[in-house]
Amino acid sequence: MRETVITRDMVANPKTAYGNKKASTRHFITQRLTGAINIAFLVLLLFVVVRLAGQDRLDMVAVLGNGWIGLPLAVLLVIVAIHMRNGMRDVLEDYFAGSLYRLLMLLNTLFCILVAVAGVAALLKLVFWG
Amino acid sequence: MVELMLPKADRPVKGKTWPKPANASRLREYHIYRYDPDQGANPRIDTYFVDLDDCGPMILDGLLWIKNKVDPTLTLRRSCREGICGSCSMNINGLNTLACTKGMDDSTGPIKIYPLPHMPVVKDLVPDLTTFYAQHRAIEPWLKTTSPTPDKEWTQSVPQRAKLDGLYECILCACCSTSCPSYWWNGEKYLGPAALLQAYRWLIDSRDETTQERLDDLEDPFKLYRCHTIMNCAKVCPKGLNPAKAIAEIKKMMVERKAA
Repeated sequence: MRETVITRDMVANPKTAYGNKKASTRHFITQRLTGAINIAFLVLLLFVVVRLAGQDRLDMVAVLGNGWIGLPLAVLLVIVAIHMRNGMRDVLEDYFAGSLYRLLMLLNTLFCILVAVAGVAALLKLVFWG
Repeated sequence: MVELMLPKADRPVKGKTWPKPANASRLREYHIYRYDPDQGANPRIDTYFVDLDDCGPMILDGLLWIKNKVDPTLTLRRSCREGICGSCSMNINGLNTLACTKGMDDSTGPIKIYPLPHMPVVKDLVPDLTTFYAQHRAIEPWLKTTSPTPDKEWTQSVPQRAKLDGLYECILCACCSTSCPSYWWNGEKYLGPAALLQAYRWLIDSRDETTQERLDDLEDPFKLYRCHTIMNCAKVCPKGLNPAKAIAEIKKMMVERKAA
């Protein structure tokens, strides 16, 4: 599974790198930032969930079709998708290596894009076209 | 990478039960991991009985009693027997610690002793720590300066020196690194809590003048960012240090550098 054998000399060399050096801190910041934003948006999400409890589809369309609710929710979906992709990458990096890791990471990215695009498209439809 | 099961050949089997010492009134049972690569057999768990009236109070005392009086083939590292050298680190009753500072009366029932987890075993309780030491080498644990060497020593104020408290005391026993699941899964690429604690010790040393280069070398998705703040390192450190906090501080330095 592992593509290169890591020797003791490689481990002892401070210049050895095992991934994208430049992106590592950016990923860390992105993950924390999106996590913090998600917590803030949680209030909105809870409001929507409580508001829609026991309601029918017409009420759902009315609530989510409101631009003040639907558009922030669309932004939230994008941020959640970014957070989800980053979080899953951490897990995949821990558990897989080599070509299997790259395949799973590709599927992870595609899934997150799909969730974000489908969710945003649905919300935009509700907001602008009802 | 993650290995959830040991290979069949590495799974411990029930071993020998050694006879109880004659005329002993107070006994303590030890279950000890035994492995000899020359024998080519599976590791085994041997059972020993220690005469508490003829032995010191610490786990290490018991192990040395067994080695001296019952089974001289039992292999373990030990040196200072007072928590300074870090040689006798091992997994005792499920927790990595130093056998010399852990009392037998800290627990009841049989004392279960294994080598440090997830490391190759040289023999019995002796793990192969060469990768661990290579990782320590990788953080260049010495003073690096660019300005001319002063006539006397490199000086440091009292507050600057105080920043090193809680860091310099590390004895490199490897209890923290070998208790970290991230280190188990990616032990070759992730530097581990012990090396990163030392990395931070040199990053905040006011006399060191290569902070940016040190941060450059640590900026890597595996070397630093494999820490998932599991905190096992802080829980097991026999010196009471907090490597997780040091790692968080390094991450903070990385973020501040990026934001600057």
